[in-house]
Amino acid sequence: MSNAKERKHAKKMRNQPTNVTLSSGFVADRGGKHPNGGGKPFQAQKHEPDSGTSRQRQTKMTQHSPPEPDVNEQSSSKVMFKKKGGWKAGPEGTSQEIPKYITASTFAQARAAEISAMLKAVTQKSSNSLVFQTLPRHMRRRAMSHNVKRLPRRLQEIAQKEDLSYYCCLELKGKEEEILKALSPMCSIDTGLTFAAVHCLSGKRQGSLLLYRANKYPREMLGPVTFIWKSERTSGDTSESRQLWIWIHPTLKQDILEEIKAVCQCMEPIKPTVCIQDPVLSPSQEKSQTELPEEKIGKKRKRKDDGEDGKPIKKVIGDGTRDPYQPYSWISPATGIIISDLTMEMNRFRLIGPLAHAILTETLKAASVHTEGEDTEKTPHCWWVETCRNPDSVSLHHRQEAIFELLGGVTSPAEIPAGTVLGLTVGDPRINLPQKRSKILPSPEKCQDNEKVRQLLLEGVPVECTHSFIWNQAICKSVTENKISDQDLNRKRSELLVPGSQLVLGPQESKIPILLIQQPGKVTGDDRRGWGSGWDVLLPRGWGMAFWIPFIYRGARVGGLKEAIVHSQYKRSPHIPGDFPDCPAGILFAEEQAKNLLEKYQRRPPAKRPNYVKLGTLAPFCCPWQQLTRDWESRVQVQGESPVASCPGGEETDLRRGEVLCAPTPEKSHQLSDEVGTSLDDSSEPEGVMDTECPAQAETGWVTGQDAPGSLLCVLRSRQSLKQLSAWCGPSVGDSRAPRRAPSRWQQELTREACQAILDCFPRALVWVSLSLLRKGSPKLHTMICVPTKEDFLQLSRDRLYSGPLESKHSDPFKSQIRKQKEKKKIEKRQNPGHAVSKGLAGGDPAAEHQALTLGLWSGPLPAVTSHCSRVLLGFVTQGDFSMAVGCGEALGFVSLTGLLDMLLSQPAAERGLVLLRSPASLQYRFARIAIEV
Amino acid sequence: MLLIRAHSMAENREPRGAVEAELDPVEYTLRKRLPHRLPRRPNDIYVNMKTDFKAQLARCQKLLDGGARGQNSCTEIYIHGLGLAINRAINIALQLQAGSFGSLQVAANTSTVELVDELEPETDTREPLTRIRNNSAIHIRVFRVTPK
Repeated sequence: MSNAKERKHAKKMRNQPTNVTLSSGFVADRGGKHPNGGGKPFQAQKHEPDSGTSRQRQTKMTQHSPPEPDVNEQSSSKVMFKKKGGWKAGPEGTSQEIPKYITASTFAQARAAEISAMLKAVTQKSSNSLVFQTLPRHMRRRAMSHNVKRLPRRLQEIAQKEDLSYYCCLELKGKEEEILKALSPMCSIDTGLTFAAVHCLSGKRQGSLLLYRANKYPREMLGPVTFIWKSERTSGDTSESRQLWIWIHPTLKQDILEEIKAVCQCMEPIKPTVCIQDPVLSPSQEKSQTELPEEKIGKKRKRKDDGEDGKPIKKVIGDGTRDPYQPYSWISPATGIIISDLTMEMNRFRLIGPLAHAILTETLKAASVHTEGEDTEKTPHCWWVETCRNPDSVSLHHRQEAIFELLGGVTSPAEIPAGTVLGLTVGDPRINLPQKRSKILPSPEKCQDNEKVRQLLLEGVPVECTHSFIWNQAICKSVTENKISDQDLNRKRSELLVPGSQLVLGPQESKIPILLIQQPGKVTGDDRRGWGSGWDVLLPRGWGMAFWIPFIYRGARVGGLKEAIVHSQYKRSPHIPGDFPDCPAGILFAEEQAKNLLEKYQRRPPAKRPNYVKLGTLAPFCCPWQQLTRDWESRVQVQGESPVASCPGGEETDLRRGEVLCAPTPEKSHQLSDEVGTSLDDSSEPEGVMDTECPAQAETGWVTGQDAPGSLLCVLRSRQSLKQLSAWCGPSVGDSRAPRRAPSRWQQELTREACQAILDCFPRALVWVSLSLLRKGSPKLHTMICVPTKEDFLQLSRDRLYSGPLESKHSDPFKSQIRKQKEKKKIEKRQNPGHAVSKGLAGGDPAAEHQALTLGLWSGPLPAVTSHCSRVLLGFVTQGDFSMAVGCGEALGFVSLTGLLDMLLSQPAAERGLVLLRSPASLQYRFARIAIEV
Repeated sequence: MLLIRAHSMAENREPRGAVEAELDPVEYTLRKRLPHRLPRRPNDIYVNMKTDFKAQLARCQKLLDGGARGQNSCTEIYIHGLGLAINRAINIALQLQAGSFGSLQVAANTSTVELVDELEPETDTREPLTRIRNNSAIHIRVFRVTPK
């Protein structure tokens, strides 16, 4: 026998399942002719299992041991080698080897195993190709690679994951009553439940609320937060120290932290006990502090790195949000409250979508409990060993585990009570990482209709089970420090006896305390309830990547900030901080956005960008809220003073009012609006405007925010008023569902008095509204929300397909000015070419004036914003797009409360709540329905 | 037995009055939770009142017919309707049967689905409440009787 031949065969057999024989090669004669259970001779059949034989054969072959050491044990291989020689010599050698009989069942079994192994090998995608490359060619589309919607539905994403670790966490420790007393001036029961809500206070649920500057409600908003209380071990004992975590968007952190420090009188910093080790890393971190969006990205990156380079020597202590030398903990001598800034101390991942449960239950496995017999001396996880000694803790752990397992049988996270908190201690998720990235589907067996699931859905998670060791910072620190690095883990994996088998670390395995928080998704409104619901997973620091990859490997898709915005838009929830124009971060965000949009606009040549002056768009890049609310106030005042029917004329605003209220014939109103349009254009010569309105406008500068605090922007967030408005907005009368509304005795009728009552409480307020387009149209950022006229309704009632009126083109009074300036400059240049450069550099008066003028933009202070166009302006859209969740254009934005009430009062009941939307770069108005969801 | 996904205004008609009569809406806000349901198999169709009737009918037909050469066609599909959508589910099933020249048969099952209403308190001192409300559902099996 030749060594080369054997080696060749061994190579061929290397990747074969052990019980699969090749039809070629030296076993071919026997295996091919009489394939009986893997080609073993019949005499061996009785005492050796199938696969054992062939494996021995293989080992034998690779070893090349010439003498037969053990006759009894290796009889089969001996026979085979003999036979092989015989085969080489001639066919007569093999003829003796033919089995006398074969057993049908073993034969069939062996074949079945072979076939299944082959099928598996065939169906498994072995190459590293992209998903869409596995599609047959005729099903591929060019756009698939960048648009996931082009993929067949079965290959599209289902569960989405988001890294929210950039959210900042503040911890308040102290007596419950002291904390509640201190924080109560910052929130108002008007806007929803506060920190003292019973179910949140017990630690059972996560709460969310809006923070204001102390005692400043309804003005001076600070921002929205979510919070969780640590559940108390012994209930009813108020003297016990409680822990409260407040989660804040990083842009809001500074303001809220300062305010909380002020109300808790926590001014004494506690010196950081952790010595800062990382002088090398800190400069780069400080660099990332400079700009906000960059900061977020930087943090995210760092989290990921953190998980990867988990070398014990290179512990990362500092973080991107604050100077490591700054104190991050403050104590109040009077109240005993300790405030700590836990930013970057924890990871927070958000899993959204119907597969969230399946992925969670598949990825996370509850930690195994140490038994007495195990060798626990060497383990670094002594906190867990100690916990396991306490039978109460162990039973609690088992209860938590049982509840967590139940989640696998619940299809959607929205079935669970909103904001449910569940604590858990899990094993290292890297250990049972799947070989390949795959998609986990919920198993129907788990989803049996059982009583336990029903109880969970009804009552939620019991209070005890919300306990988690993540609240204990010492344990978190130890967990972070004792994390086994990826490198070590992989090395251990490679040392496994059978490659690819489960790695068992035993007591060496890390136990990670986590906290699961349910996110209720869309709870307001009537449709798409529970949309975007999911779970937040809170992890100790350093463990981000260790959990991130296992989630990904089970089919989670990652969404970034862009996806988060789209998600919040589909959910019709305000986006932080863009949709909070009344909080400092929101103002800053709007300023930044306006600057970016203006820059982008100016980068294009004038012929390739919309002329907003001609389109009648006064403020395409920002929303002049202050001016809007002010204008509406004066409009309504003027209207109140003069009798409506007389239609005095003269003042433009009155004329417009008359047009809306007096309901003239369509032609007449058209004439009217044309007249107004032209007169407006005439009067809107910049000189005229400056003469009359300059002083008022200058001070209106809406972004300055330096007005007297009384005139600061205010957004209506009182739940009761919003409910009232929400009921008024619907076209209730005449509907079949009207009786439903009728019995609600607390609802007032829409009358002028009721409106006035709300207006008195919230003068110059804005209201957050959601708009859905009736027919065509996809609203854009800063789309204008306008009041339709009677004539528009008439058109709409005549023709259901009527898409909306058109705005007549405005004239551009600035164009000629710009041209004049240009000519002037040219002449100057021609006259003294040497001088022009120096003059331009010096920034003389004409030059400065020229810079202020940009073709296509309104320069100088804005004229009356509400009456600039043919339809009266009501508000602006802050988020808008075609919504894939509903299948029509949807927008979110703010309208003036005064204007909204005025519009609702003047509209007939059947058409109540209809508005017109017009994008900044278009003349077309589109009909949309306004809704206020509470 | 299958459980049904909540759809649109389909569920909850009659019990609402009862709930509202007992509770002061100033103190509680009603939040309806999604009903408990099983994972969807490929041949399950949940009918709702939001989607166009024709589109839903076409979807069922497509499932029964399969692809261009008749591959991947289901021999049976299940059409589920909850509450108001029961009517529509029946309509779809009958339309399918009528358009099949006798090759499709229907078999209907009815059931009761438990729905959970959450009552969110408006004041800090109250606990949130949950209420169970029943709604009827229909599950129609549409299957082929003669092989293609």
